[in-house]
Amino acid sequence: MLPASLDEAVDALAAAPAAVPVAGATDLMEAVNAGRLRPAALVGLGRITELRGWRYEDGGTAVLGAGLTHARMDRPDFAALIPALADAARTAGPPQVRNVGTLGGNIVTAAPAGDTLPVLTALEATVTLARAGASREVPVSHLLTGLDPVRPGELLTWVRVPLLHAPQVFLKATGRSGPARATASVALVLDPARRSVRCAVGAVAPVPLRPLEAEAWVAGCIDWDGSREIDPAANAAFGEYVATACVPDNYGAEGAWEAVTEGPTAAAVRLRRTVAVLARRALGRALK
Amino acid sequence: MTSPTDIGAAPQQDGGEGGAPEPFGLGSSPLRSDALPKALGIYPYAADLWAEGLLWGAVLRSPHPHARIRGIDTSAALALPGVHAVVTAADLPPGPDGTPDGAPAGPVVADRPVLAAGVVRHHGEPIAAVAADHPDTARLAVGLIVVDYEPLEAVTDPEQAFTAPALHPDGNLFRHLPLRTGDPDAVGEIVVEGLYQVGRQDPAPLGAEAGLAVPRPDGGVELHLSSTDPHGDRDRTAACLGLEPDRVRLVVTGVPGATTDREDLSFQVTLALLALRTGRPVKMTLTREESFQTHTSRHPALLRYRHHADADGTLVKVEAQILLDGGAYADVSAEALAAATAFSAGPYVCPNVFVDAWAVRTNNPPAGRMRGEGALQACFAYESQLDQLAARVGVDPVEIRRRNAMSTGDPLPTGQAVTCPAPVRALLDAVADEPLPALPVDDPDAEWLLPGGPGGAGDPAAVRRGIGYAVGMVHMLGAEGEDEVSTATVRVSGDHATVICAAVDAGQGFATLARQIVQTVLGVSEVYIAPADSDQSIAGPSARGRHTWVSGGAVERAALMVRHQLLQPIAANFGMSSELLQIADGKITSYDGVLGMPVAEALEGKELWATAQCRPHPTEPLDEAGQGDAFVSISFCAMRAVVDVDIELGAVRVVEMTVAQDVGRALNPRQIEDRIEAGVAQGVGLALLEDLRTEGGVLQNPSLTGYRLPTALDTPEVRIAALLEERDVVAPFGAKAVGAAPAVVAPAAVAAAVRAATGLPVGRLPIRAEDAVTA
Repeated sequence: MLPASLDEAVDALAAAPAAVPVAGATDLMEAVNAGRLRPAALVGLGRITELRGWRYEDGGTAVLGAGLTHARMDRPDFAALIPALADAARTAGPPQVRNVGTLGGNIVTAAPAGDTLPVLTALEATVTLARAGASREVPVSHLLTGLDPVRPGELLTWVRVPLLHAPQVFLKATGRSGPARATASVALVLDPARRSVRCAVGAVAPVPLRPLEAEAWVAGCIDWDGSREIDPAANAAFGEYVATACVPDNYGAEGAWEAVTEGPTAAAVRLRRTVAVLARRALGRALK
Repeated sequence: MTSPTDIGAAPQQDGGEGGAPEPFGLGSSPLRSDALPKALGIYPYAADLWAEGLLWGAVLRSPHPHARIRGIDTSAALALPGVHAVVTAADLPPGPDGTPDGAPAGPVVADRPVLAAGVVRHHGEPIAAVAADHPDTARLAVGLIVVDYEPLEAVTDPEQAFTAPALHPDGNLFRHLPLRTGDPDAVGEIVVEGLYQVGRQDPAPLGAEAGLAVPRPDGGVELHLSSTDPHGDRDRTAACLGLEPDRVRLVVTGVPGATTDREDLSFQVTLALLALRTGRPVKMTLTREESFQTHTSRHPALLRYRHHADADGTLVKVEAQILLDGGAYADVSAEALAAATAFSAGPYVCPNVFVDAWAVRTNNPPAGRMRGEGALQACFAYESQLDQLAARVGVDPVEIRRRNAMSTGDPLPTGQAVTCPAPVRALLDAVADEPLPALPVDDPDAEWLLPGGPGGAGDPAAVRRGIGYAVGMVHMLGAEGEDEVSTATVRVSGDHATVICAAVDAGQGFATLARQIVQTVLGVSEVYIAPADSDQSIAGPSARGRHTWVSGGAVERAALMVRHQLLQPIAANFGMSSELLQIADGKITSYDGVLGMPVAEALEGKELWATAQCRPHPTEPLDEAGQGDAFVSISFCAMRAVVDVDIELGAVRVVEMTVAQDVGRALNPRQIEDRIEAGVAQGVGLALLEDLRTEGGVLQNPSLTGYRLPTALDTPEVRIAALLEERDVVAPFGAKAVGAAPAVVAPAAVAAAVRAATGLPVGRLPIRAEDAVTA
């Protein structure tokens, strides 16, 4: 099925709730080719041009189409709007993937290392899930954690992101110079209106994690009215705080849910070091 | 990039109507004839083959690294509509005792069954195969085959292999090679020790295994495969099927990447068996995951070294213990071990060398041939030792190598004198003399690619630059008495020539080289290279840099014989020796310019044919003390690596690799540079990225997402400092093979540079992020 408009797409999904919506197909076709997925039907979203752009809403919100490609999000006009999302889109993969892979697809696939996910989590974005005759608004974190999943017949159409007009950073650690999956990533945004710092750590857990206490603590260390500087020691402590909050002591150990008494595993120590460096650098860049 | 200037001015010839002159003959750099179709995506590979009425094959593979097979029930698979045949070990010729043994085969020792019989010894070992009318039906049928496994304990630590129960009737030890030369009691003032580990690198060819088998009316079978050894593969396939070799014909299709033996035998025998069983053409393409499971990888290695030296760094004694994990089957482990042992001291003079080396069987994936097998692992260890020694003596890493470097005529620890050119010092000087790349502080306006890549987390304040040197060696051609021979036929008719030679151009450029040879000898510009198949005479595998030597030599001899047939009557007519005639620009001219006759006219409408063989001087196996003239010739390479390391995240970027290589004679300089770049890319991949991980014998990352091949951003600038042309007098054209040496040396050079940047003792490859974090 190749609907030409959003309404047609929603109707098509209502008629065939088992159908899978497909945009860039960079994740979907890999699963199909490997035999892990055999969709009953596909609803191609490629012709729905309205989903490929964005618009503004009152109250300083950008409404992003789910069909925005990573390549489009990397362009300067978009990067001026939501810099961290542009950073994440730029590093999301090789050009072939970024040219077709979409924002909505990245959210729905919900891979632990999905690059836009920590950014959307830190921005406290919400998504619109549309179905025939109705639609609902869900926080992206609720969607990712499975608290409020996409229901059959629903289509992810829009992503609402607050425009903060302040520095934002996305950093990821990979094992190479070329495009690669993150071993850990950190998204950090400043919200001067609320005098808050919001941070999300990706790829270390099935969903992005928010170190809320560390955020609250570091927000108090920043001189919001002045030069917005931070003491380097406080910045380093923030990194450690985030790392300890997001990487459990028993990371990578067998029976990861049982309590461990011998202190952090070697894998936890390594990952914490990486997360701490990323968080420290991210805050340093945001406040520079 | 610098190019050598002393390769002689190549004769130029017009490339057709008004076109630019096309490079012609040896020493020039003509474009490969397959370059454009490959770049345009229209070059056909085995996966593109089609035959009317073909069936699709699929293979059932073991999920266990070690298990006894108590029974196989294929009835449900056979009952599936569309399934034409299901084969297991019981369908192959039985073993000597009359029971199915899976028709074991192998390049040296026949120990690897085509289909597992009674026991599986590695994760992904083939057990059964299906032919069906649709690829999905075939895969579905594979899922319906019920195998009753009794999982056994997997031996995955090579050090446990010595004491573990035998995993195979042949035992767990493929080979133990002791090497003893000199005085065991010699000691030096300085002693450095180290333990080195090399991970499992996979050739990961861009195209996964694919092939088409067509049954022949005479009861034989024709296989269309991207084989790199058509005759060897044909003979082994026929033996496994119980057929005469001439009933099997192997046609070589486009080879989508090969840095090793290309097809695995199980794949092609299974394919042929399905075609014979169904009487219909059968096509099979493996998934990427299967491809990682089935083809052989590089030997993971554990090397323990102790170097003794005088106070000034002169080597006194090298002691080493080398352990190669050969995986479940023997393949070429014995040969890799010989290289690791013979080159264990590196391209250095050392009077006393004591080595014990073992290659053992485990339940890990089988290891086999891959650019510089054995030599690479040893190079990483001895070069790491030399760096340690330099630090202890307090001299520059280049100087410690210069002091110990071997020269032509010096002996290897095996007692064999290196009679070929060994310009080790000259290579080292060439890379050391090259200017270093600029530092970011010297050129702050340029956009610097930091470790972690563009848009990455790199922070200039945490980046340290390191420079490392390495020099290494690798042998060419088969070793230890292997009969190396190649045959080529050259035909001239009219104004063009044809070369018929079963040497497969697996991407290394042999077809281009053969064209250049014939152009030089016969003066004709139009040279057609016939596609390789096993009905031609034997040329042997495309490995170990053989074809430049043996097949290049055979083509030259055949061309010279044609030239003699062509010139002899003319020379007799003019009462002069044929040596006084020369052929150039399609014309035969005499030394005095009196004669000037077009080649086509001299042929008088005849066709001239000649077939010749090339067989280098024989070698001998290493004896029980590791002594013997085991190698035909050796090539050397020196490198300087410049790396940037983010010492907080452990991210490494190789900025530049400077290479000086001993090439004997540069037959096609551009192709040599391509081979060096390919070797560097593969070596950098091994040093930093490529590691096929196993957990209890089970592959953890058999995909191109999980197995990280270097991308364009991971591959450094390659600067050719020198292609040293000191002719090897026994080699055809004096040329040495160039493909393996850069891959052997690059990992050691990168490791040395990371060591220099971080001050950490980098002891394992690939270098993980945590091995490069100094905090």
